[in-house]
Amino acid sequence: MAHIKIANLRKEFGVGDDKVVALQNVNLDIEGHVFVSIVGPSGCGKSTLLNILSGIETPSSGTVDITQDRHDANPGYVFQAARLLPWRSVMDNLLFVQPDPDAPEARERCQRYLDMVHLGDKGDKFPGELSGGMQQRVGIARAFAVEPDVLFMDEPFSHLDAITARSLRRELHDMWQATGKTILFVTHDVGEAVELSSRILVFAKGGRLEDDITVDMPFPRDAADENVAVAKAHVLKKFEDLDLVAT
Amino acid sequence: MTAVTEQVPKQQPPVKKDDDTGLVAFIKKPIVARLLFPTLFIALWLFVDGLEISKVFPAPDRVAQFMWDELRLETLARTNLYETLGLSLVRLFSGFAVSMVVGTAIGLGMGLSKSVDAFFHDWVMAILAMPALVWALFLGLVFGFGHTGPVLATILAGIPFVIINVREGVRNTPRDLFDMASAFGVPQNRMTRHLLIPSLMPFMFAAARYGFSVGWKGLVLAEVFASDRGMGWMIKFWYDAHRSFAVVGYAFFFVVFAFFLEKFVFDKIYERTFRWRPSAGAIELVEEEVEEHFIDALDPEGASTLPKQIRED
Ligand SMILES: Nc1ncnc2c1ncn2[C@@H]1O[C@H](COP(=O)(O)OP(=O)(O)OP(=O)(O)O)[C@@H](O)[C@H]1O
Ligand SMILES: [Mg+2]
Repeated sequence: MAHIKIANLRKEFGVGDDKVVALQNVNLDIEGHVFVSIVGPSGCGKSTLLNILSGIETPSSGTVDITQDRHDANPGYVFQAARLLPWRSVMDNLLFVQPDPDAPEARERCQRYLDMVHLGDKGDKFPGELSGGMQQRVGIARAFAVEPDVLFMDEPFSHLDAITARSLRRELHDMWQATGKTILFVTHDVGEAVELSSRILVFAKGGRLEDDITVDMPFPRDAADENVAVAKAHVLKKFEDLDLVAT
Repeated sequence: MTAVTEQVPKQQPPVKKDDDTGLVAFIKKPIVARLLFPTLFIALWLFVDGLEISKVFPAPDRVAQFMWDELRLETLARTNLYETLGLSLVRLFSGFAVSMVVGTAIGLGMGLSKSVDAFFHDWVMAILAMPALVWALFLGLVFGFGHTGPVLATILAGIPFVIINVREGVRNTPRDLFDMASAFGVPQNRMTRHLLIPSLMPFMFAAARYGFSVGWKGLVLAEVFASDRGMGWMIKFWYDAHRSFAVVGYAFFFVVFAFFLEKFVFDKIYERTFRWRPSAGAIELVEEEVEEHFIDALDPEGASTLPKQIRED
């Protein structure tokens, strides 16, 4: 089981007058098979948090610690834009991030996850030959194909049309259920957060963790379901109370 | 999920409707349009020749006859066409190779380090600001009529373009893709091979094209003043002999050679290297961007006439 521990995390960018505090005073403990959504207004440090957890950025102070049964956990990352190598085929993009791309199992595994996002026959296409939604699905398959202990997702569906986003949400949920991973999922969409998460973290401007909501409802959750609508309204209300709505 | 797949529009070239008929349709055919210009050009040439404004104006048939004779090794000059072209090409390729290797090294350094950039910046600008003619004369005086002058001229003409293109390439490396690779823990050598080098390729390609064509012009000029052989010298030879048809004929050999190089070498390499690019012709954009950026960098005050002239000479 993956275990994420964040203690007194602070992140600043720039110096002097240009200084921006992206995160401050963040303390978190996330463990096991949970789907954690991170919501909050633009610029509240959501991407920065994922970047620090995945090692792209380093904290200004405080500590983050991700372990998997006391070893360093193996992360996967789905970015807001697909971030594929345009000059490599879809299959080669998946192999690029594999621990051992030359192993025959690696290719099989990549093929399996391409099949999972229904792009099994697109392995030898270049990303530029795919639609935006397909590219995003390649990005998702790439992250799953490293079979990560922890999966970071930064607004993975926000640039997609509603129908594609909806079916990808279902796929994501099924994969999470099937694989038992820890998922940290950044979103702007409270409905999406309520539909998918077991836990919702609300961040406010200045990078403070304002609220930590446990969503205890059975899956699958349908947006039309009354309980889901109530939960969504509840989270939105918290937003209003925290004055996070108009940003 | 399949529903989503089906929704994605298949990428197919739009079906072209052929409404035009008759003459218009005929002219619009690419092959006809391509041949139209040379045809018109020859017609105009024949017309001007018919005016008999000058005794030395070269008639098309005279030029064609000269070119044919040269191709059959019948020449009054002391080296034949193939020797001349061969010699110039050896000089061109050695100079080009040096400017690519050295230019890439300097460009990488300038792109990666601010102090390396500061060290070379003014020198690159100075070399660019110098008219190729000055190099040619100077190198002729210093090195006499050997290979050194023309080869150096090729290098000096081409290397600034290589440096600037490579530097831009390094500055434009896709940060977000490197972040992606490091988030997944991709090892350094794999990143270099699959990420850094491919991302530099469009800039290397622009560097090669520029380095080559500008180097070629530098070479020809140097051969006029700093050599007693080669394509440039040969044109000077026919100029001294007052044979305008031969000057024009030799110039055509140039054009034909450049055309073949473009069509059968650069275009082929381009197609192979940039198969992944959805839109063909994007490389021209890169070149233009780089060029513009570079003109700005050269002349922040905006008086950019000087470099433009040098660029187009
Ligand atoms: N590399 C950087 N350099 C300087 N400032 C940065 C950098 N990355 C983020 N910031 C700043 O840190 C703050 C938090 O940025 P971050 O991208 O984490 O926000 P976010 O919550 O993801 O916003 P959004 O919802 O718009 O994606 C912002 O004020 C941003 O300007
Ligand atoms: Mg963000």
